[in-house]
Amino acid sequence: MIKLEHVTKVYKGDVHALHETNVEINRGEFVFLVGPSGSGKSTFIRLLNKQEVPSAGNVFVAGKDIAHLSNWKVPYLRRNIGCIFQDFKLLSDKTVYENVAFALEVIGRPRHVITTQVPAILDLVGLAEKGKRRPHELSGGEQQRVSIARAFVNRPLILLADEPTGNLDPATSVGIMRLLDRINRTGTTVVMATHDQNIVNTMRRRVIELSEGDIIRDQARGVYE
Amino acid sequence: MAIKADYVLRETGGNLLRNFTLTLASVLTVLVSLALLGSALTIGYRVDNATDRWKGGIEFIVYMNSDAEQEQLASIQADLAENPLVERFSYVDQDATYEEFVELFDDQPAILESVTPDILPTSYRVVPITDDPDAIKALGDTFEGKPGVREIAFAFETVKKLQGLTERINRLILTASVALLVSALLLIINTIRMAMFARRREIEVMKLVGATNWFIRVPFMLEGLVQGLLGAGGAIVSVIFLNQWFDTEFASTGSDIPIFENFTIAGDEMSFVFMLLVGLGSLLGIGASAIAVTRFLDV
Repeated sequence: MIKLEHVTKVYKGDVHALHETNVEINRGEFVFLVGPSGSGKSTFIRLLNKQEVPSAGNVFVAGKDIAHLSNWKVPYLRRNIGCIFQDFKLLSDKTVYENVAFALEVIGRPRHVITTQVPAILDLVGLAEKGKRRPHELSGGEQQRVSIARAFVNRPLILLADEPTGNLDPATSVGIMRLLDRINRTGTTVVMATHDQNIVNTMRRRVIELSEGDIIRDQARGVYE
Repeated sequence: MAIKADYVLRETGGNLLRNFTLTLASVLTVLVSLALLGSALTIGYRVDNATDRWKGGIEFIVYMNSDAEQEQLASIQADLAENPLVERFSYVDQDATYEEFVELFDDQPAILESVTPDILPTSYRVVPITDDPDAIKALGDTFEGKPGVREIAFAFETVKKLQGLTERINRLILTASVALLVSALLLIINTIRMAMFARRREIEVMKLVGATNWFIRVPFMLEGLVQGLLGAGGAIVSVIFLNQWFDTEFASTGSDIPIFENFTIAGDEMSFVFMLLVGLGSLLGIGASAIAVTRFLDV
């Protein structure tokens, strides 16, 4: 599903974010990216939906070399990749329902798809009753659920999560992880960058540890350290 | 498709209202610049029409009375043919005069109805060999007071002044117009950028969930187009008012038409100016927003 071949990413000013990275992630896997800040986790994730372009090497997603994907095809790639973030990136002037519907609306999905899919996904993330609320009226955990609903409403093949529990307390984080686990069980590949030791140690999934742009550990059913 | 039109209209309308003051500034700048351009063009057409019969080196015209007799005409014609200072001349009979008249007043049926060929003066248009104003004046004056002659009209007196003055004024107006068009362009670019900056979070989300760049662009480009078109519309209204003022100010009615005062503009010339303004307005709006949208849309 995802393959990085000799991927190097150098930012301006000679900052090496990734160095000669080789990774293969199969369909349906759940992968934790761990490592200190600046180790290249976010760059890894941003390469997968072409928010960044590698300085060298190839990035394959769903069989396509996306490093050399022409710009106009990028939106179609991203329709197969959901994204969630530490800061949720919800639109504050839209309701919960509108935030999720927005993701379908802007890729031209017809109205009947929106009116059936959005309530279904809000039900899945446990927010069926809160569709008319605005993000600031919700707790952090609930806001992250909205962002997961938005990322998953189009049933992507891959879900990228960049420290999704970074702003949440441990109990709330467990709830979010249950939700991500459920999504993973539907066959969606999940790649999650995290600093949360408890979560990694509890879930016991594949762990890829990065340090200064190098993979120093790749372990099935791994722990944080 | 319905949902898309829906979306685009909602977004464009919302953007226009959200940035009301900036939008108003853009629209007014487009309006003033295009109004100046339109005025310069219509004045240019009017002067052209007024001086149409002075083309090709014609320096003076001998207007005959409309009831001038054949002998009187023949005598003037003979004088012109024999005079060594006259390079060439042409005779414009009543039908030809009427044709020119119809061309100039085709959008003013009231004036047309009041005129028939037989009341119009015939004329001799004279090209002298010299271009010395004093010599031309002296030559023209020799026809003054001859039987059948109504009046002598000199180009250098009226036409040249009018042409020169219009040229200078128009150059001034056009310079101001171009400067304002550039300001309008910059203002629209900034208005659209402000609109995009205000919605940068939405644009970020749209890009992440896979909206195409065109889908993101269209509402903003439409916003620019609307600003350009509103400005062009206002400019057209201003130009219409200006030309109505000219028409009442220079109205020439009745049977004794001073042909020289044909300070008019034809319907098709007016339409051309309007189409030009609409075209420029749209181009300005679309162009400015196309420049503006490139910045926020790097993948």
